[in-house]
Amino acid sequence: MRLLLLAFLALSFSSFAEQQNEEESKTAAFENLSAKAWLRNMSHALQQQQFKLSLIKLDADQIKPMVYLHGRVQEQEVAFLEYLNGPPKNAVRVNNTITFIEHDKPPYSVSGGRIEGLWPAVFAANIERLEQGYQFVLGGRSRIAGRPGQVIRILPNDPHRFGYQIWLDMEHFLPLRFDMISSERQLLEQILAVELIVLQETPSLLLEAYKQKWPLVMNHTERQQGQDWQFQWMPGGFEVVVRDLRRLMGSDSSVEYIALSDGLASISVYVARAGETPLPNELVATNGLSIATERVGNVEVVAVGKVPPATLSRLAQSLTLE
Amino acid sequence: MDKLGQEWVSSVVDGEASEQDLAHLSQDKDAQEKWQNYHLIGDTIRGELPPALSLDLTQSIADAIEKEPSIVAPGHANKPVSSDELSDVVEGNPASVVGLDIAPTAKPSNVVPLFKQLGQYAIAASVALVAVIGVQNYNVPADIESSPLPVLNTRPLIGSASPVSLQTGQPKATSQNASQGYSEAQLNEQRRRINTYIQDHMLQQKLNTAALHQHKSEKAQEEPQK
Repeated sequence: MRLLLLAFLALSFSSFAEQQNEEESKTAAFENLSAKAWLRNMSHALQQQQFKLSLIKLDADQIKPMVYLHGRVQEQEVAFLEYLNGPPKNAVRVNNTITFIEHDKPPYSVSGGRIEGLWPAVFAANIERLEQGYQFVLGGRSRIAGRPGQVIRILPNDPHRFGYQIWLDMEHFLPLRFDMISSERQLLEQILAVELIVLQETPSLLLEAYKQKWPLVMNHTERQQGQDWQFQWMPGGFEVVVRDLRRLMGSDSSVEYIALSDGLASISVYVARAGETPLPNELVATNGLSIATERVGNVEVVAVGKVPPATLSRLAQSLTLE
Repeated sequence: MDKLGQEWVSSVVDGEASEQDLAHLSQDKDAQEKWQNYHLIGDTIRGELPPALSLDLTQSIADAIEKEPSIVAPGHANKPVSSDELSDVVEGNPASVVGLDIAPTAKPSNVVPLFKQLGQYAIAASVALVAVIGVQNYNVPADIESSPLPVLNTRPLIGSASPVSLQTGQPKATSQNASQGYSEAQLNEQRRRINTYIQDHMLQQKLNTAALHQHKSEKAQEEPQK
């Protein structure tokens, strides 16, 4: 009887192996996809698919539940993002106009291709933009939100920025999980889908959002041209996106502002008259957001962004006036 | 045997058994067989089967106990042993063999060491369980396993200041700050400025998406590969 049991054990092991083989052949179609092809498919899916995604965002010590709706109305993208906890906070995007509806201020619109606060804008745009700073590596598979997911790692080419990991739904290529990871492999920020529903019909909410008259896009022409500050050093892939001279929000001091981006990480650099109390040289928050300050005479250079603090320090130090 | 019955046997194997379960096991022939099978399965999975498989483990344990002088067994103290009885045990009198079908109350002195043995096997079984789970985890890339928990851990701070967060409000003044000799007002001013920069940075993220988007969509979108 015991020998029988042993035989049964051996049999069950071999049949288990066969099952695995079957599953592998089923997913063989995906085997040929490179990491970049997966990301390209994601970019396409984020623009074309109609879906409802319930997700949570882990940011520092906060957990923010959100719902994201995306659809297409008359060949235009319409998206809706709602923060579910706390005071009502929504964002609506109709094509390239994003309107923020927040409880404490009148709705305002900006122009842009993606609602900020969810996936990086580049995910629904040109993935090639990231290739200067990152490598795409195919990872394993795991189950997210009840669906099989394919892991794609976006590894930084240098230690000047953080790494990212993204889990894509194997059926629809929509992102199910997005992690920002420090070089010590510490999780800094995470967006985690709880439920993904791919819709056949456009949800009525988006149809209404499309018909709704939204405030006009805020005018950006008042941005003044700043002085010609140059970075002597910039990590590969980073580019100056915006530069201007303006008044700092909630403050009466005017600053020179330069925005840098490598597609995933964004850095703001401010040049301002130094305050009475020197700011700390480097400061790091739990979600990876860092601040570095460099004081030059009576001017302080402040760099803010979700990159390692050493990068910010080096950037701030390398800023010179041409 | 019903599902519930199997569950308590497996908990005995895992070393999570109550006194009652153990007593039950000693009397239930069916459960004993199951218990033995569970251990056998465990050994097979771990590849720890001896070259010569002695399947009747309980019997050999019982035999071993039988050969062991009963005097070392705890519980004997409260029951005086006659010299006759003792000699019976030493000589291997079948009457004193702890067959598993003999009620524990009949020979509590010998049953106790049997359970000690059981305990050891139970611990081994639970260790094996951990080992199996451990191996499974190693097969998965470590980073996939990363739970959301680390986010909740406070990062050790770099520099001399405290963490700032837009929404969590006032950063706490650290002892280093205090030791640098800043007054409360200066610290507040410092915090306010840091928060201003962070808030402006966040706002710019919203506004700059347009600039980023234009930049990125310069190249035509390629059709996805299937």
